[in-house]
Amino acid sequence: MAWAGVTNYKRRKQEQAKLKEIQSMLVQAAPGPSPSGESDPPFKNPLADKQAPAFTLRDTTGKKVSLADYKGKAVILDFWATWCAPCKVEIPWLEKLHDQYASQGLEVLGISEDDLDLDDKAALLKQKQEIADSAMKLHINYPVLIDDKEVSKPYGGIDALPTTFFVDRNGKVVAATVGLADRDEIEANIKKALGNGEQKGAS
Amino acid sequence: MRIFPWIGYAILALAAALAPAQKLPWETNDGQSDAKQFVKFLYPEQVSVAANQDSVVELHFKVNPGLHINSHTPHEKSFIPTQLLVAEPPGVTVGPVDFPAGADFALAAEPNEKLSVYTGEFIVRAHVKAKAGEHLIQAALRYQACDATSCFPPRKAPVAVDVIAR
Repeated sequence: MAWAGVTNYKRRKQEQAKLKEIQSMLVQAAPGPSPSGESDPPFKNPLADKQAPAFTLRDTTGKKVSLADYKGKAVILDFWATWCAPCKVEIPWLEKLHDQYASQGLEVLGISEDDLDLDDKAALLKQKQEIADSAMKLHINYPVLIDDKEVSKPYGGIDALPTTFFVDRNGKVVAATVGLADRDEIEANIKKALGNGEQKGAS
Repeated sequence: MRIFPWIGYAILALAAALAPAQKLPWETNDGQSDAKQFVKFLYPEQVSVAANQDSVVELHFKVNPGLHINSHTPHEKSFIPTQLLVAEPPGVTVGPVDFPAGADFALAAEPNEKLSVYTGEFIVRAHVKAKAGEHLIQAALRYQACDATSCFPPRKAPVAVDVIAR
């Protein structure tokens, strides 16, 4: 690069100052979560007591799956990603709870929030295969759907994973958790969704 | 646009002669550059190097308290590694880039599953060669952050260093 002249120097300085300002704004505006959770307000379920937004997505085999297909069932919607370590802790719990409560009408749908390269067919195929491989490796025993990013929006944007919604038999969201929840809390939410919150867990 | 994936370092150097208002190569309207940041570039704002010689520029970053990000070499293939995306202005080459080793970290619920992560402050060492003059190197640290119970989608933290080569 040739020696930069005064104009370029000024321009670069202005550009640099602007970048620094943006960086400073980002940090001031977004300190991020702390271990104590003091910097972020506690999670508030954006869909509490509302109807779960309808959607139709394809699962890892390419089959179309709609939330409406599960009318009359209690449904767990688990938003996760292959790169999310806490999701991989929660998923085996969901598998076991699914087995335990399926006879009472519980269904689980995993919704992958992995980034998809929608403009590159080859990359998209590879990404979908990686999601399918990951689901197989985790022995997921329920449908895994691939979000095209249109579904996460009506569910509040999904800022953190895992995010889990519990939908009752009437299609109403009765509970939601963000982050790796306590297993007992998940089970209590399942009972709420099944409408047997006062009963003991299924045997 | 030319893309250089340096083998062994996995840095992406995106060579581009950037006009002032031009979008940086990694700004893809996916919101990653502008979203809430969990990692801050600390310094340097400006460095002096010997012209036309290989120099190491130490880039200092800080991960917000209570969070960790994957190292450059996560233990699991599906985890997203920390990478540096660099737009090389004319007269400057950047690379290779040396990342620190990650520290072992385990979630309380999975104490035996070790993750390779960065927490707190860490330094990325970029090898820079510049012709005489002043150059603004713009870059972004791509990372994926988590706390003890949640993970957040990948982000890109902006980096800008004024390199004076004499």
